[in-house]
Amino acid sequence: MIGSAAALASRGALAQEPPKPASIVVNHSGGAMGSAMRKAFFNGFEKKYGIRVVETSPADFGKLRAMVESGNVEWDVTEIGGQDAIRATEMKLVEKIDDKIVDRSKYPEKARSPYVFASSVYTTIIGYRTDVFKGGTHPKSWADWWDVKKFPGARSMRDHPTDNLEFALLADGVTPDKIYPIDFDRAFKKLDQIKPHVNVWWATGQQPAQLLLDKEVVLATGWNGRFYDLIKKGGPVEIEWNQGALKQGSFVIPRGAKNAYWGQKMLAEMSVPQQQAIYATELGYPGLNLEALNYVDAKVKPYLPTQYIDKQFWIDDSWYAANGTKALELWNAWKLKKA
Amino acid sequence: MSSRTAGGLPPPLPSPVRRGRAGWGRAALPALPALVLLFAFFLFPVVRMLGFSIEDGSLDWYAKALGEELYLRVFWNTFEIALLVTVICLLVGYPLGFLIATTTPGWATLGFIFVLLPLWTSVLVRTYAWMVLLGRNGVFNRWLIEAGVIADPIPMLNNFTGVLIGMVHVLLPYMVLPVYGAVRRLDPALVAAAEGLGASSWSIFWRIYLPLTLPGIFAGATIVFVLSLGFFITPALLGGGKVMMLAVLIEQQIHQTLNWPFAAALSAVLLALTLGVYSLAQAFTRQEARP
Amino acid sequence: MASRSADLRVEGLVKRFGEVVALDGVSLDIASGELLTILGPSGSGKTTLLKVVAGFETPDAGSVRVDGTDITTLPPARRDIGMVFQNYALFPHLTVARNVAFPLEMRNVGKAEIERRVAEALELVELEGYGRRLPRQLSGGQQQRVALARAIVFNPRLLLLDEPFGALDRKLRETMQLEVRRLQRRLGLTTIFITHDQEEALVLSDRIAVMNKGSIEQVASTTEIYERPANDFVADFVGESNIFHGTVTEVGSVTLDSGRRLLIAHPASVGSRVGVLMRPERFGRGANSFNGEVKEAVYLGSSIKLRLACDAGMELIVRQPSGALPAIGSRISVGIEPESIHVF
Repeated sequence: MIGSAAALASRGALAQEPPKPASIVVNHSGGAMGSAMRKAFFNGFEKKYGIRVVETSPADFGKLRAMVESGNVEWDVTEIGGQDAIRATEMKLVEKIDDKIVDRSKYPEKARSPYVFASSVYTTIIGYRTDVFKGGTHPKSWADWWDVKKFPGARSMRDHPTDNLEFALLADGVTPDKIYPIDFDRAFKKLDQIKPHVNVWWATGQQPAQLLLDKEVVLATGWNGRFYDLIKKGGPVEIEWNQGALKQGSFVIPRGAKNAYWGQKMLAEMSVPQQQAIYATELGYPGLNLEALNYVDAKVKPYLPTQYIDKQFWIDDSWYAANGTKALELWNAWKLKKA
Repeated sequence: MSSRTAGGLPPPLPSPVRRGRAGWGRAALPALPALVLLFAFFLFPVVRMLGFSIEDGSLDWYAKALGEELYLRVFWNTFEIALLVTVICLLVGYPLGFLIATTTPGWATLGFIFVLLPLWTSVLVRTYAWMVLLGRNGVFNRWLIEAGVIADPIPMLNNFTGVLIGMVHVLLPYMVLPVYGAVRRLDPALVAAAEGLGASSWSIFWRIYLPLTLPGIFAGATIVFVLSLGFFITPALLGGGKVMMLAVLIEQQIHQTLNWPFAAALSAVLLALTLGVYSLAQAFTRQEARP
Repeated sequence: MASRSADLRVEGLVKRFGEVVALDGVSLDIASGELLTILGPSGSGKTTLLKVVAGFETPDAGSVRVDGTDITTLPPARRDIGMVFQNYALFPHLTVARNVAFPLEMRNVGKAEIERRVAEALELVELEGYGRRLPRQLSGGQQQRVALARAIVFNPRLLLLDEPFGALDRKLRETMQLEVRRLQRRLGLTTIFITHDQEEALVLSDRIAVMNKGSIEQVASTTEIYERPANDFVADFVGESNIFHGTVTEVGSVTLDSGRRLLIAHPASVGSRVGVLMRPERFGRGANSFNGEVKEAVYLGSSIKLRLACDAGMELIVRQPSGALPAIGSRISVGIEPESIHVF
């Protein structure tokens, strides 16, 4: 009797589990991140379930929308920008995260959105040439960054309003808790001052590290992982963490994904602390499972933004979800304005 | 004109007869599969795009595209860059195409390889190569400084110059090939005839080569100009983000702000601009071909 | 139009293209005002000779002199030679008038003068009123005339014509041949005419130079070339011919290699090897008679042409005044007088 009940139960569990596809598609932003994900998550997933993980890139909100609206969803899991994740949720483009499959109990309260899986933390901070700024003579705040007399040299900043508006306000004396809602006039007025000293407005993530390496600029804002990678390889570059702009990396399951269930299983794999530790060591982007740090080497810890959370501030994705278009338009107009 | 003047020869021929409508119908039949493909992959998306731009039943997005200073300025920027790139391509590409068309086969092959190389290289590799060459501490600047020509590096990258160099590099083949074709099509006997009639090399170039290769020049210039209008990656990477072209703006609307109706309106204006330039060039070429 | 016609002397011209010898020591004199045709099959070197004279090719050896001045190394533009190309080489983007004006413009002639001389040249080729057309709006013959006008408008010292009528139909070609002849006489222009068409050569020329394999086989008047060719090649190339070889066995008699004896009027010495030429139209009645089977009979309007198989394997081409065609296979007799047989 008991035996047959157990058999039934297990058969029931089996019946709940949809058939295994030959492969699932994970879309992400590519590059070094892709290889780190393969090492930390995909290889284990393939071994565990016998399902091949096909990777595509880059992350593309427009494409996600087109896929969901046309009903031809190629991706089972996709990376997505922070503010885009909020908009995608509002536009009902994504599936709900199944908490029975994805265990986020060790995540901070803030990082347990019902529709968005927070995969990692990254920050936009200052990278500088160590041969130009020796012995701690580098800019240590955005006010310093703006001080071109004390810290001369060509700079590079992102060609985008996000981060830059915040940095301008901080440089102008606004306290981190008063950044939002952003005062456009004040931010752009401050940005006017730095504009002639920005040699390159970067468009892709690998540009800042490359620009520093080529000595095209001596100071660059950039994503911590990109500088971390250059530092690991012995490049003459260091990071100033103060006043960095924190963001979370996000993954979602597109609504109508062909293998949504296995997509949830993939997110589950990505929430395992040991795996997140591997990923963080590779890229410098720690996951949000708070236990993951226990598995990271001591030498790596100084390069993880989670170590400096209190010196930094969080980008307000919901503010951008509402004001991003306006910000971008003003940014474009400001860029075109003759100095 | 009477036939008397022609010494009993038949009176002057009328200008060539144009092909009748019936002739077109028959000619189109074998092209049917191509037409279907063209419709499915070109015309339909264009119509769909135009549909997007007036989705909400108004021309508001066009009013925005053509009314706001920001967008007018980007249109003008784009136009200006395309024009400059075309002129530079012409100045560099004409002599190059001419040379390749008139040199020995060995040199011609070598020339072709160099001209076509950028087409076979990925954008990123090409762009990175330019970064290595043109940077502040790039190869060119280091040479010039070592040679004592300059004291401080010349900014050739991450500015307007960088964009021009990068775009000319990629688009040069589109100028060289039509010029090459035009020069090759020219009957060598015409050159010999001109020479025999007393023309200097200079006269032969101005009076024979140049006018007879004009169609090639127009074809090349049109292609280069039209392609320039849609450039995207090169300006972003070699321009240091300081040169904004229309394609960059459209890309933002599609991928970042997801404002597809506006992206469609911008694209439609770009398309109209492109077709305008194209038909202008066509009209001009036709006029040149039959004065 | 005033003539500045000059005489031309080429001496010992040699031109090689790799292994191929295009000119193998060619020497030639052309008197002022003369029309000389260079006749030869394709590949005989005649076009190369013309290019060397025009300056488009530099010879490996030898010289080209005009009125005694050596111009061998002078560029074409400074030779003052008018040339008409095979496909006319009219500038397609220029009107007829601008085409004809081209050599004058290159010589910085004044505008009014150009206008006058262009009109004159177009009148000369009977194309007045066509000045504003484009070449492609003209017929082949008209284009040819424009090319001719362009080649003479600047009073060249020499006129070169490179197979100019090759693209024209027969009738037009004949008209143009006479026209060129008329024009050349009228202007007294020293002219070299290149053709592979022996009939054209006979119609046009004062003298003909027959070329073969980079050498000149014979230079002579048209009648001389036709009636008294210097060798097999000339005899065979110019006109239809029956050529045989033999030995003079006694004065006034040749024994052909086939064994057949022919009576000849030529005073060749006994024992010498000779060639004999019998032109097809010379057959009729005569001291030498042939009996043969009709293998082929062609009606040509003004005459009929027969191919006869005679004794000892001899084959004869015979032309006879127009009349009824003999039946194939029938046997007929023809004769030829000793005076009509050319011995060389």
